[in-house]
Amino acid sequence: MKFDVIIIGSGQAGMQVAAALQRSGRKTAVIGLGRSINEVEVKPYEQLGGTLLIGDSVTGGIFDGDRLQAVRTANLGAYPLEADDFVIATGKFLGRGLVADMDGIYEPLFGLDVDYDPDRSHWFDADFGACQPFLRFGVRTDAQSRPSVGGRTVTNLYACGELLAGVSAVEGRDAIAGSAARVIGQLKPSDHAEA
Amino acid sequence: MNNEYDVIIIGGGITGAGTARDCALRGLRVLLVERGDIADGATGRNHGLLHSGARYAVKDGESARECIAENRILRRIAPHCVEDTQGLFITLPEDEEAGYGLDYQQRFIQACRDAGISAEAMDPREAVRLEPSVNPRLIGAVKVPDGSVDPFKLCAANILDARLHGADILTYAEVQSLILEGSAVRGIRVRKRRSGETAEYRARVTVNAAGIWGQAIVRMAGAQISMFPAKGALLVFAHRVNHVVINRCRKSADGDILVPGDTVTVIGTTSTKIPFEDCDDLNVTPDEVALLLREGSQLCPTLASTRILRAYAGVRPLVAADNDPSGRNISRGIVCLDHATRDGIESFVTITGGKLMTYRLMAQMATDAVCDKLGVSEPCTTHTALLPPTVDNAFTAGTPDGELVCECENVTMGQIRSAIRNFDIHSLADLRRRTRVGMGTCQGTYCVRKAAAALAEAQGSPADARPLAEEYLGERWKGMMPVGWGDTLREMEFMQRVFKAGAPSTFK
Repeated sequence: MKFDVIIIGSGQAGMQVAAALQRSGRKTAVIGLGRSINEVEVKPYEQLGGTLLIGDSVTGGIFDGDRLQAVRTANLGAYPLEADDFVIATGKFLGRGLVADMDGIYEPLFGLDVDYDPDRSHWFDADFGACQPFLRFGVRTDAQSRPSVGGRTVTNLYACGELLAGVSAVEGRDAIAGSAARVIGQLKPSDHAEA
Repeated sequence: MNNEYDVIIIGGGITGAGTARDCALRGLRVLLVERGDIADGATGRNHGLLHSGARYAVKDGESARECIAENRILRRIAPHCVEDTQGLFITLPEDEEAGYGLDYQQRFIQACRDAGISAEAMDPREAVRLEPSVNPRLIGAVKVPDGSVDPFKLCAANILDARLHGADILTYAEVQSLILEGSAVRGIRVRKRRSGETAEYRARVTVNAAGIWGQAIVRMAGAQISMFPAKGALLVFAHRVNHVVINRCRKSADGDILVPGDTVTVIGTTSTKIPFEDCDDLNVTPDEVALLLREGSQLCPTLASTRILRAYAGVRPLVAADNDPSGRNISRGIVCLDHATRDGIESFVTITGGKLMTYRLMAQMATDAVCDKLGVSEPCTTHTALLPPTVDNAFTAGTPDGELVCECENVTMGQIRSAIRNFDIHSLADLRRRTRVGMGTCQGTYCVRKAAAALAEAQGSPADARPLAEEYLGERWKGMMPVGWGDTLREMEFMQRVFKAGAPSTFK
């Protein structure tokens, strides 16, 4: 099955992007566990014709050079889902968009480049109430909101939400919405009025 | 509170608490002073292992015999503080290569039996059936009567029983100096830390049971004792991985004891000499964490992927033998010093060294020394007299007292109120040491506000709930930072979201 845009992650940022793009006429699908989905957004999105694959999760991608061709999911096994463009909005550590181990921090689906301080003693402020450095870590993107792998931009993948460096729900939801709006701006058909 | 006592005990750890109880049971008028909360030093910062003594059997038969005797006594007098988990000493293939193979196991079993500790060799497959989390590569196992003990509850039970027998307990009071008259110690001058007031208390005998801080107390009397603070770091895992204590059957080393206690499992410990000035602010280093995880995973491989709740550390009060000022000849045994015969200072006794396991015996030795000085001949009864429960537990669901506050540790509002009535409680950390509130797998994330509200209300200042909660979360945060990766980091993000979502500076 082929979509125009596949959105990975069903939280605030993922659903915002999916609804806007679906409304603008692009054929979208959302893949996510649905742990942080806002229930009231489900029906309107489906009524617009969007495809929600809730309860599934992406296990990896199929790349053609610097382009992401398709993603595999846990439930669909041998049937990869193809799309022209992909959006990743998988969240920070709690949502497992980022994974930290003793040696560092990585993005587990595609190995996207992550901005973080390699010295673990700098991850925290001993004052619980202070802004915590680790909440500012996240995926690095170019000016078009595209992340990279090993320094090479993935040309049709866009990142938004808490997965991004500098964006965290603890510091406010506006930054999440803003990052999603930037991705919508990149992916909305320019010659196409909103439906 | 009258200012004249038969005996003053300095230190509200397990040794001081046990000594206060023993003295009170023998009819003495007792005052115990503690500079912080009871059990907030080394007493509450260890494994909570009810040693069988097997660990010491090969090298130190005397310690082993003391341990097994006290192990049996504690099971009898404090069944509510003790859990009969049993223990395994396992042999791994790499132990064999290092010279601690099955020959050593035989020596170990014989040494245990010589010390009166039952030790039964098990087939490795049988050991895996008994404890499914144990490293399946083991080539040998010995079962011994280890257990786990709740040191907070044990200490509180001693304090409470001392008070039931007439003792006065004064916490948050720091000894500033000793009252010296001629060559005798006649009492103490304290500063009450919460009010800033100073006060004098006089007694016929003063007992120094201040753990590592006891070196400074001895100095106040004009004498010297050489103590060496040895930091021991431990990690708590977020669930009870094993149900039997797991040890390595080899020479004692770092990170070779895994103890299930309450809802969690604890691995420890390390041993690092530290300067005295570090004793009040212990940090667990990345190297210590790495070592404990590496060694812990040898005992129980699933630890490598289990969420770590927090890291903590305590200080062992190691004492140099009197004839060795270099400190090389350190005793891990009990040290009971009568400063009259040792230094010519009358009416002053120091009880130190030893372990949590042998606190009752230490208390007995100190109390014997006190009674000797006072001409009291009452015999010790602490080996048979049962310890009381520390908080009331029987609360009915559906009543206000039956309301569950801490779901991880099953603490009810009634237990919290009962602890506040029974003990001098000023912070949620004090309340945690009495009830285990906020000690479990969420580290207070879900219950801290409820518990803080209950405490603030009991103190008559409901507006103070917020700072109480903030102080507690700050304390928990410090223990999580050294292990902040993997699922622990996810929990930390969760805590931040729960308390600060959308308003990062509101918790300042």
